[in-house]
Amino acid sequence: MKRVNNQKQKAKSINVFRIVLMVLFGLLMTETGTFAMLTIKANHDHIKIDFFYHGSTVSVRGEADQGTDLVIKIASSEGSQLLRKKGRVAGLLWMNIGNLSYEHVPSLYFLHSTKNLAEILSSDERDKYSLGYPALNRHIEIRPVESEEEKSKWFNEFVKVKESSKVYDTSSGKIAISERKGRQNYYILLDWPYQALQGNYTATVYAVKDKKVVETAESNVLVEQVGFVKTMFNMAMNNGALYGIISILVAISAGFAVGLIFRQGGGAH
Amino acid sequence: MNLMYLYLPVALTSINVLIPVGLGLIVGLLSGLFGVGGGFLLTPLLIMFGIPSTVAAATDSNQIVAASTSGTYAHWKVGNVDFKMGLYLLLGGFVGGVLGVQAIKILEATGNADFVIKITYVLMLGIVGTYMLIESLISLRKSGSQASENQDRKESAFTRCLKSLPLQTHFEKSGVTHSLLLPVIFGGFVGILAAVMGVGGGFLMVPVMVYILRMPMHVVVGTSLFQILFNCIEVTFLQAYTNHTVDFVLAVLLLIGSTFGAQIGAAFGRKLKGEQLKVILAVIVLVVTAKIVFDLALTPSLLLSQAGGH
Repeated sequence: MKRVNNQKQKAKSINVFRIVLMVLFGLLMTETGTFAMLTIKANHDHIKIDFFYHGSTVSVRGEADQGTDLVIKIASSEGSQLLRKKGRVAGLLWMNIGNLSYEHVPSLYFLHSTKNLAEILSSDERDKYSLGYPALNRHIEIRPVESEEEKSKWFNEFVKVKESSKVYDTSSGKIAISERKGRQNYYILLDWPYQALQGNYTATVYAVKDKKVVETAESNVLVEQVGFVKTMFNMAMNNGALYGIISILVAISAGFAVGLIFRQGGGAH
Repeated sequence: MNLMYLYLPVALTSINVLIPVGLGLIVGLLSGLFGVGGGFLLTPLLIMFGIPSTVAAATDSNQIVAASTSGTYAHWKVGNVDFKMGLYLLLGGFVGGVLGVQAIKILEATGNADFVIKITYVLMLGIVGTYMLIESLISLRKSGSQASENQDRKESAFTRCLKSLPLQTHFEKSGVTHSLLLPVIFGGFVGILAAVMGVGGGFLMVPVMVYILRMPMHVVVGTSLFQILFNCIEVTFLQAYTNHTVDFVLAVLLLIGSTFGAQIGAAFGRKLKGEQLKVILAVIVLVVTAKIVFDLALTPSLLLSQAGGH
């Protein structure tokens, strides 16, 4: 008798659970206006910088409506960067001739799209979401520059430096698309450079239709120093005196140790 | 995980361990052969392999501490260190080191810093290298048996000028008499260079001791290393404390190579004559000078670099 009552109660709970699910499902449909939602998942989203770290890979995958093009952006938060600019001195020698301050720039910027950005998005939309180098150029500030032409020149040089460090990259046509049950699955595998510093990076996918962004979804990639690397970095930055003394003592000890090893040979310089 | 690569906690980059160990070995060999720290070679090489320039310079000072400890210890054991001369050079070097670290900050705030540093560097290396090459070639031709200790000691106007300076004192180990101001001033000059450029200054100090202070070659190498050791201890501490740019892991990798290289170089150096050593050092100095001049004249592939370097 007791067992029958338990079974009844269990069936009752399952029904309640189903009703709640249906309500939530209904709310979801009302909110988005469509059954299919844009999704994104960054695989390997917690990268640990340990002593043997030499970069990593990050795969981004998800689902989108059929008939939409996709743009995937992975970027750090925006900040300011100070760089030295080289120029000719006395018309002959290349030297550092001053600093340029770059404001509102991400330290890492990856942008990958299913097709050429200019073909699938209007200029206004690209500017609105800072999609592509020309849009990023219009978004950031560079000081001191005297004209838009000069700004473009130093923006292009900035991109060259960042691309050589592998922290800026763009491509079109590299996102793999496969269709399944009236939806499209997308996937891209990216090399994550060891030059990317610790911090929080945002991966955003933009679904694009009729030259407009119709939907976006976000995911995060956390890069964090751990263990010995973290300890050494923190000591170097926060306890420079102790760090300096340890560095000197280790060097002196190593010098003496090797001197003693070679003692038999005379070791004179 | 690839065990060949290590992540450098201050340089914030990953490097194949064979690169710093190999580079350390090469500059250690030079150090052992000529009594130079090798910073004038190592710092640009580290930058070439992706180490930020400020970290390269500061860490280089740290590894020179190891190589010159090993060298000074070996020379002290055979009595080839003029401590009196070394201490006066050090006195100047300490003041120069403090001025140099401050100079980096001031120079970085002005646009012309790079120009001043590079032109001075090229002129110094060029003049020293050329003079040393010509002088040692002439000595070699004159007589194969004449070592640097028996140089022509005719009194020039410059020598008379040096002798007229106050505070003349005799340096027994080197067997020379000079004003105390001389090693202090030249030590100070080398100290500034060591801090600003991440070099021990040995490539300047060795010719200064040979041609200006007229010290015997075997005492020059030991005393130079003694002076470089203390200079680089000071610069390493100041860089770690003020600029936070010493990478301990990179320094350890470099010193593994450099301490062994220094001993191998020392053993090899004993088989060469003083004049032959000077010719080789002069050629290396001139090749480095030519490389710097080429780099200044050719259009660089990147027109921007991280601020904080030079």
